[in-house]
Amino acid sequence: MMKRTAPRSTLRKIIKKHKPQLRLAANADLLVHLNFLLFLHRLAEEARTNAFESKSKIIKPEHAIAAAKVVLKKSRG
Amino acid sequence: MLPDLDNDTPRFMLKRIIQTQPQVSPLAPQISKHEETEEAGLEPPSKRISSTVEMQLPDLVPEDTSMTTFYMTRKKKKFSISEFERAADKRLPQNQTQSTLDSTSLARSLHMSLGSLIPPDTVEKRGLLRRPKNHKAIDMEAFEGGVEQNMLQRKAQNYLVDSQTASMIRRATLMSDAEIMMSNTELFVQPQFGEQSQHRLSALEPQLPESKISAQGSKTFDAAHEEARLVGLVSNVGTHEGRTQRYSEKNLIVDYEHVGRMTPVSPKTFVSQGEDHQSHFHQSDPMEQFSVPEEVVAGTTEHHANARYSEQLEKKLTKTPESQITKAQDARVETEMTASEEEEVAEGSVEHLDSPKAEPEIARSFGAGSLSRHSHAFSSQYFEKSGTKSFKKAVEQAGELEDRTVTGEVEEMEEETTDDEAEIEEPESQEISMNTPAFIHAAAYKPLSSLSTPHPAESAVPKFPLQPLRAKPVPKSSGVSRRKMHEPELASSLIKKVFSHYVKMPVARDAFRIVKKCSERYFRQLSNDLEAYTQHAGRKTVEVADLEVLMRRQGLVTDKMPLHVLIERHLPLEYRKLLIPVAVSGNKIIPCK
Repeated sequence: MMKRTAPRSTLRKIIKKHKPQLRLAANADLLVHLNFLLFLHRLAEEARTNAFESKSKIIKPEHAIAAAKVVLKKSRG
Repeated sequence: MLPDLDNDTPRFMLKRIIQTQPQVSPLAPQISKHEETEEAGLEPPSKRISSTVEMQLPDLVPEDTSMTTFYMTRKKKKFSISEFERAADKRLPQNQTQSTLDSTSLARSLHMSLGSLIPPDTVEKRGLLRRPKNHKAIDMEAFEGGVEQNMLQRKAQNYLVDSQTASMIRRATLMSDAEIMMSNTELFVQPQFGEQSQHRLSALEPQLPESKISAQGSKTFDAAHEEARLVGLVSNVGTHEGRTQRYSEKNLIVDYEHVGRMTPVSPKTFVSQGEDHQSHFHQSDPMEQFSVPEEVVAGTTEHHANARYSEQLEKKLTKTPESQITKAQDARVETEMTASEEEEVAEGSVEHLDSPKAEPEIARSFGAGSLSRHSHAFSSQYFEKSGTKSFKKAVEQAGELEDRTVTGEVEEMEEETTDDEAEIEEPESQEISMNTPAFIHAAAYKPLSSLSTPHPAESAVPKFPLQPLRAKPVPKSSGVSRRKMHEPELASSLIKKVFSHYVKMPVARDAFRIVKKCSERYFRQLSNDLEAYTQHAGRKTVEVADLEVLMRRQGLVTDKMPLHVLIERHLPLEYRKLLIPVAVSGNKIIPCK
């Protein structure tokens, strides 16, 4: 199935691991999940563009790395 | 009787015809007397034509000669229209005489056309009728036969194709399952790059069982092992190295007598950093061994442990007679401790033991250059000496240990005494080196694939013809799984699925690794940003508004693209309902705002 349930507890644990003193509101982790999905979406688009540019049929690690650099910079906030 | 053209009315003529002439079917070939039809009356042209036609048909058909000629031509399947028309025209003039009596030219033309048309039919009637039938029959039969053959062929092809596709599909599914299995295995062995200390610590932990094995203290092993597990994230790079080196040395030199002492040391080392390991040496009593685990648990803080260790150190110093070997061990330990980063307490404890520092050479001599080698030494030694069940587990853990440690601590390795190669180790090193490339290769290949390292480790087991060991499946969870408990990670399968869905292209496996690393970094960034926003708002809890601010700054939410639209687009319905308030009847809003 395309959509899987969001790993809510895992997300909470991850954030807790990074910032133990921070709390999360009730449905805030859903928005975190949404944010993560959109981040992956942008990463995927960028990687796909890179692959097209190098006329490759598959996503290679170098495409992914270049895409990651760009997108991580963009999603700094 | 001859028709009387002058006197007979059409009525009378027809009457005569009906009475005298036999009934003639227009189709059946019959001799007809078309003389009667010569009378042209007031009959309507069509009737006239039909009657003339009728009359004609019987006229034309019985013409055997013409028919035969026609038939001949037909038989040859070369129907010459000209011949036929000539023959037909012979008849036609006779009919045309009748037609001249027709009132209308149209009728005449029709008649003519009909005459030209029909005679061929009548002349060739039999042949035409038969030929098409024959053709049809043949065609039908051949066609049907061909169709059946085609069907059979197609069916055969379909079966073949179906079987092929089915097998292919099966193969594909199997492959995908295998791949899924393969990819799932990664889930269990995913270390975290940012948690090197954890690596080290966990790397240290396997050493504990190893030393335990040599000590033959299964009890203590289990206890200490679990204690070590509980210890947590205390780690020190240098001490880790030192400990590993020390352990290797000890294993090389230590007799079984001193093995017992060693075992308590290991749990301590986890907790303490540069603590007095010598104290452990002296602990040979089981009581001490148990106390050590207690200390291990309690001594998460260095100072706390230090105090205890110093106490114990003095105790042990007075207790057991110090043999040269122990001294040497201590010296080695000390030197190692000094070599690595050490605490003040450790140094203080070192002073207690007036062990000559002339042992550093020996100490270093036993220190192998690479951690993996140590572990291999461990394993090799254990192979030879120990026969306990947990051997195999130690091997596996050694594999994991090496995997993690090699990845994380290559630098520290180099910092340590790298140029010391123990002679004792050399004979074993050869065997070890066989494994080291595999291990290093596995480690370098990927930390995620550390699951593979137990396999080379296990394969190494049969190489050593000494004891065939079947490690009893002691808490298997501690070794490989239970990653999420210590280090929560997002399921790699989820990441893969989502990414593959968004990218719509085949993705290389290494690219997935990068995506995973990237997402980890992203979460770190995210948590930092959220904390900043929440603090800016003077709150301690991240609210939905903070998330929206973040998304706005990321450029995901714009004036053109509100948050709700994004929610509706990317999240499943259940979550949408939770996030977007919907008004329902009764002045209610769900979820309640």
